Amino acid sequence: MIRAEQLTKRYGPTLALDRLSLEVPAGAVFGLLGPNGAGKTTFLRLVMGFVFPDGGQIDRGGLIPANIGYLSERAFYPSRVSVRGYLTTLGRLVGLRPGILQQSVDRLLEQVDLHEVAGRRLGACSRGMLQRVGLAQALLGDPPLLLLDEPASGLDPAGQKFMRDQIVALRQTGKTVLLSSHHLDEVTRVCTHVAVLKEGRLVRSGPLESILAPQPQVMIRFSSLPDALRARLLGKAPHIQVSEGCLILTGQAIPYKARILRLLLDADVDIRQLTEQHATLEEIYLEATGA
Amino acid sequence: MKRVWTLTSFFTRDLFRSLVGIVPLALALAFGSIAFEYGMDQPQFITVGGVGIGAICLLTTLLLASRANRASSYLLVARLHRRSELFGAMVLGSLGITAVLAVLIATANVLTGRLDLDFPSVLWIVPTWLVLWLLAASLALPLSALVGRNGSHLVGYALLTILLVVNDQKERLATRGVEWLVRGVNTVLWPVTTLLSRASAGIHDRTYWLSLAMTLAYAGLLFALAALLFRDKDLLWPE
Repeated sequence: MIRAEQLTKRYGPTLALDRLSLEVPAGAVFGLLGPNGAGKTTFLRLVMGFVFPDGGQIDRGGLIPANIGYLSERAFYPSRVSVRGYLTTLGRLVGLRPGILQQSVDRLLEQVDLHEVAGRRLGACSRGMLQRVGLAQALLGDPPLLLLDEPASGLDPAGQKFMRDQIVALRQTGKTVLLSSHHLDEVTRVCTHVAVLKEGRLVRSGPLESILAPQPQVMIRFSSLPDALRARLLGKAPHIQVSEGCLILTGQAIPYKARILRLLLDADVDIRQLTEQHATLEEIYLEATGA
Repeated sequence: MKRVWTLTSFFTRDLFRSLVGIVPLALALAFGSIAFEYGMDQPQFITVGGVGIGAICLLTTLLLASRANRASSYLLVARLHRRSELFGAMVLGSLGITAVLAVLIATANVLTGRLDLDFPSVLWIVPTWLVLWLLAASLALPLSALVGRNGSHLVGYALLTILLVVNDQKERLATRGVEWLVRGVNTVLWPVTTLLSRASAGIHDRTYWLSLAMTLAYAGLLFALAALLFRDKDLLWPE
């Protein structure tokens, strides 16, 4: 849906994006991760056509920016306009016909749970409400692609959950969502794909499962291990670590987990816990960004 | 066009919902009171009113552009098919506000006996002033920080100042060996000065229409310049 090739963007002496090549598949919920200043917002602004690249190109899959739903990180709103008035104005800009404009606005107000404060001035709305207004306006016209810049930024836990649920619902309707976030937990829960940026460069990208999969580990906890068995296990494969009360299998040792478990059971080892763990997104992120 | 009308309505309301919305009203009140203090006849009204209300139009466009030059416009610009639609809305909004103010100024002064208008010849004001206001509004666009790139709007202000100062001091400058500058400024300003002089004299001949068309062309060129500058400008409004 979106394909960026060798995208470069400078702001004066600052290199915001450095030959970034990235592909966002249709129907994906794509999480852009990276420290502050990594180039996430710049990439979204390039997709929206707010800024222009110094090099490279971007393919929006045939969409023009006007047909993309966009929520900026800290969207500012005209304070004296009502929630409904603002959505109605944007709905007209989207091109909704008068007959369906009010219906669409009402439906979206209901969807983001703002129907009771539809007449309230935007200046009198809380941060959480404004994020909901932002989401509602992004959904006007039912765009196939949504760009959400830090959608849960500054929201309380209930607000974050609300936003997460909305993104999951969008995923279920087949929409493509590109979101930037610092909330790794949120990304793990809602995204199908992730990319990690660092200093304007892409350092990791792919489906979430394949990003998390390369470093699984199996941990077996037990009460005690006979010395002979310990020596035998350590000689079995190079990726087995044995410590006090714990056996950890990584890499090439993982396919042997059933055989190793049988060895332990045959030796009457008291097994207390067996867990299979994947690296967390936080670990991947910290490793990728060198933070 | 629907998007332009929607934006026009939005910008106009936004201006008058803010404190700066007082500025065009205050200027119109001041102009309507001071310029008409000793009364005015129709030829004077066409010239003085045309320039004075044109200046209010320019300022109103600058105010609309400054209101649009902020982060809340991201969500508006995101919905446009062409960025120049933003300018279309500003120019239309500014023309509408200026027209209302002009009618109010004229009506108030006619009712108080300080302005003497002759119907139906006064209707010639409509095309004359409309084109002048279009020029003023289009001139304001490249002079605004919204459109300006690398200080281009400051260069615009400098050029405009030089133009106006030379025009004001042309008799003195002509005797100081810079006739070429005076001739140049006269040539540049010919459409506007001719339009006003012909209209105030009630002459609507081919020269009037030529000056009208040239003034309109100036407005078109300035609008196109603004659109060109803004077309691929990085919009980096602080959030």
